[in-house]
Amino acid sequence: MQSSISNPLRLGLRQERVIPPQCLVIFGASGDLTHRKLIPALFELFLQRRLPSEFAIVGCARRPWSDEEFKEKMRLKLCDKISSYEQEWTKFTEFLFYEPVDLQEESHVKRLSQRLIEIDRLKATHGNKTFYLSVSPNFYEGGCKSLKNVGLLDDPIKSRIVIEKPFGRDYSSARKLNKIVQSCANESQIYRIDHYLGKETVQNILVLRFANTIFEPIWNRNYISNIQITSSETVGVEDRAGYYETSGALRDMLQNHLTQMLAVIAMEPPGKFDPEAIRNEKAKVLQASKLANEIEPWNCCIRGQYEEGGNYDNPLKGYRDENGVGKNSTTETYIATKIFIDNWRWQGVPFYLRTGKRLPKRLGEIVLTFKDVPVHLFESTIINPAPNQLIIRIQPDEGATFKFEVKSPGSGMRSRPVEMEFSYDESFGEPSDEGYVRLLADSMLGDPTLFTRSDEVEAAWKLYTPLIELMENAPWKLPVYKYESMTWGPPESDQLLAKDNIFWRRP
Amino acid sequence: MKPQLTLQTPLELPAHEIPNYLKKLWISKDDLDSGANTFSLIVWQPSWLEQCFVKSKLINGPITGYLTEEIITSAKKLILENGLPLATPLQSRELIDLLNKNIFDDSFEDLRGQFFESSISTLNPRRIITLAPTIQDKYDIKTFVSAYCPLSDEIRDQTICGDLVVFRGSINSIFTEGLKIIEKLSIDDLPSWLWWNGSLDDSPEIFDYFSKEGKRLIIDTANGSSERCIDILTNALKSKRAINDLNWVRLKSWRESLAMIFDPPSRRNLLEHITQIDVDIEGDNIVQALFLISWISDKLNWQLVEAKKENEITLIKFKRDNGDYILTSINPMPIGNPSIHSGQVIGLRLISKVSKDPKKNTCIILGSESAECMRLEAGGMADMHLIEEVVPSFLMSSEADVSKLLASSRGDTSPLFENSINITSKIFEILKL
Repeated sequence: MQSSISNPLRLGLRQERVIPPQCLVIFGASGDLTHRKLIPALFELFLQRRLPSEFAIVGCARRPWSDEEFKEKMRLKLCDKISSYEQEWTKFTEFLFYEPVDLQEESHVKRLSQRLIEIDRLKATHGNKTFYLSVSPNFYEGGCKSLKNVGLLDDPIKSRIVIEKPFGRDYSSARKLNKIVQSCANESQIYRIDHYLGKETVQNILVLRFANTIFEPIWNRNYISNIQITSSETVGVEDRAGYYETSGALRDMLQNHLTQMLAVIAMEPPGKFDPEAIRNEKAKVLQASKLANEIEPWNCCIRGQYEEGGNYDNPLKGYRDENGVGKNSTTETYIATKIFIDNWRWQGVPFYLRTGKRLPKRLGEIVLTFKDVPVHLFESTIINPAPNQLIIRIQPDEGATFKFEVKSPGSGMRSRPVEMEFSYDESFGEPSDEGYVRLLADSMLGDPTLFTRSDEVEAAWKLYTPLIELMENAPWKLPVYKYESMTWGPPESDQLLAKDNIFWRRP
Repeated sequence: MKPQLTLQTPLELPAHEIPNYLKKLWISKDDLDSGANTFSLIVWQPSWLEQCFVKSKLINGPITGYLTEEIITSAKKLILENGLPLATPLQSRELIDLLNKNIFDDSFEDLRGQFFESSISTLNPRRIITLAPTIQDKYDIKTFVSAYCPLSDEIRDQTICGDLVVFRGSINSIFTEGLKIIEKLSIDDLPSWLWWNGSLDDSPEIFDYFSKEGKRLIIDTANGSSERCIDILTNALKSKRAINDLNWVRLKSWRESLAMIFDPPSRRNLLEHITQIDVDIEGDNIVQALFLISWISDKLNWQLVEAKKENEITLIKFKRDNGDYILTSINPMPIGNPSIHSGQVIGLRLISKVSKDPKKNTCIILGSESAECMRLEAGGMADMHLIEEVVPSFLMSSEADVSKLLASSRGDTSPLFENSINITSKIFEILKL
């Protein structure tokens, strides 16, 4: 979402809340996420003057760096992004500190605790601490316990912990992880990041639904025929094979990002705009969700894996030829599934969710297709009048489109579909904050609205448990179909909808 | 206004005993401070108008410190009945002097500092200290303390309790005795705010005392002489103290509405061809209008060329980078029913000329009521491509505006405001000459 010219009157107008004095401790600071997302997001907050002067960022990892080395490494990694902001970057680095810590070693964490006391005194951060675990989930249990044992999570107001997905590998591991984390800190201290919730357009769904009178009366099974949620990438697994081979599309995207979009699009209106009220409604709708066929789940799910494709000038490798991927890998890079929600609002309305790598376009969208008119009074310029559709574009070209029928010019009464368009770029022309900017700020502000709660996580895992069990115990029942790179997935995925006389939208 | 429940009836204590009393109240068995971990707020709350009305028995007591509808209506009525100019600010010296002639010596219940709006109490302030000066010159200081714990909707682990302290007495007694005790009541680890809820012309010695203390200041430049107001703002910037102005906060919907008009990229070009801006205000306090014009000129990088007054109209000329001039004016309008705050912007007209053909040019009008829009589109403006909007100007209480500032936790002056102050003070200097 970019515009070449910003509105000069808009600059600095947004009066966001300033983050209170705080020390942000990032575990896994030598990793990718820190220099690709976290530090750039914090720098952006600094440029927006949303960081208080009483602030510190303490990077922690096993590498034996010093404060200066950490600052230098970050500067080198971010040199392109900060080239126009040399002075500001220099000021920003006054916030940066580093402490070599193995999170599994309590003695290291004890040493860290002492260092944090010194930094707290130096920077007057008032004892407020946010611990960001940018580490492998294998380290969550040990890490949380170390932090707890050393007393760093004792104060439920002044300390909080932020963890990244995946939250477990399945329902039972997610419950186990939740229990461990909750034994170390209160639920109110735990912030589980799903960065899709940080996207402006996902948040816009709440505004679209609940700030307008016209949508809510038709946002139900009486008017909606089906809902499709798509998140597609053009890239392959790239250098993430080590992780991806153990997760696949279901765990990487479907169980978290797409399910969060499902929750937001399907939830009941909250009684007030309050974090817990919103999360209550999301949890409720996920608890009411189920696979379309839980007894024979293979009938409501298609898995796929990309093969070679592309063209002569730009040939693309198949998944099994990627670095780090086994020659006989059965990890799915594509998954499509059909879900129902058993409640008064959605009974009988199919929700189709699909996600995949090496698809023709990078996009995220939610498509609400309305029911057909009961009687076709008019001849259409196409064979049948197209049903009305509301398309919410998550990325790129963020916005929404409403498709409806109008009269085609001429003496006859023929209808044809047209589109009513809202585009963020055309209406605002203002780049929105990248997801992590918003989420980091909210975690430090203590606003949990955009973070997932333990019951949401568990409900999301429970929903896909029949599929996970099938994949583990009887994988032949859920085969991985091949699809050519840069196509819209295996043909079998089309059959999933064709059974209902529905087609995937071709974006 | 929802009264905030205190845990106890305010306790009258000798001033020197208060620090120890409060310390014992909140220190738990583990020697930890168990009060809310938020902020402390000192409120200068003279409420001269309310005191005068109650003491002259024109309205019923008790004195609460709030500018109620009854007070506002009675003040407006008094202005009309006594032939004072319509633009007379409701909390002006003239009005207070008029009321002062008829005050009775009876004592009235004074509840200043014991009631505060829920918009502030929901922020769970740790400590609110109210300075409640009395009209009577000879009034020894009295101090009251009470604890307060709001009921929370959520189950929380954190403590959200705080305390209220009231210093009531003559200005002199507050200055000589009260300030010493207040120093001891500051809580080091927490942000500390001062809300000057009165005229900035009053008690400069007390205001200057707190300004030196490094508190985050909240003032209202609609209440006080323009000279004193601008002086305070520029001094705050020079000494790098955080300053917030409710008069600037009230401009928010104007800034947002004007920015919104230029959000679509197709309209950005108009900004480079602005030739004229006219701002209508009610009353004759030009400070808010100066803030608005200064903000626009800062964002569009205009240079100040000259400023002058022609009768009641203030004319300011700017120059764009390409050498073109922009003429701006501030026009006081005789409003039949003036608002509480003097000098509020009620209309803005912005003309952008991209061509000699008037139909290709654009006139943007923002008005806080449709009559104002109609006034501004007269004189051929409606011939242009016209963008018109009525900006809703909700009567937000000062407490609600203050609560937004407190919630923002901003420890410095907003950079937008800082830039606007710099240009406003330059304009003011030229006008004074």
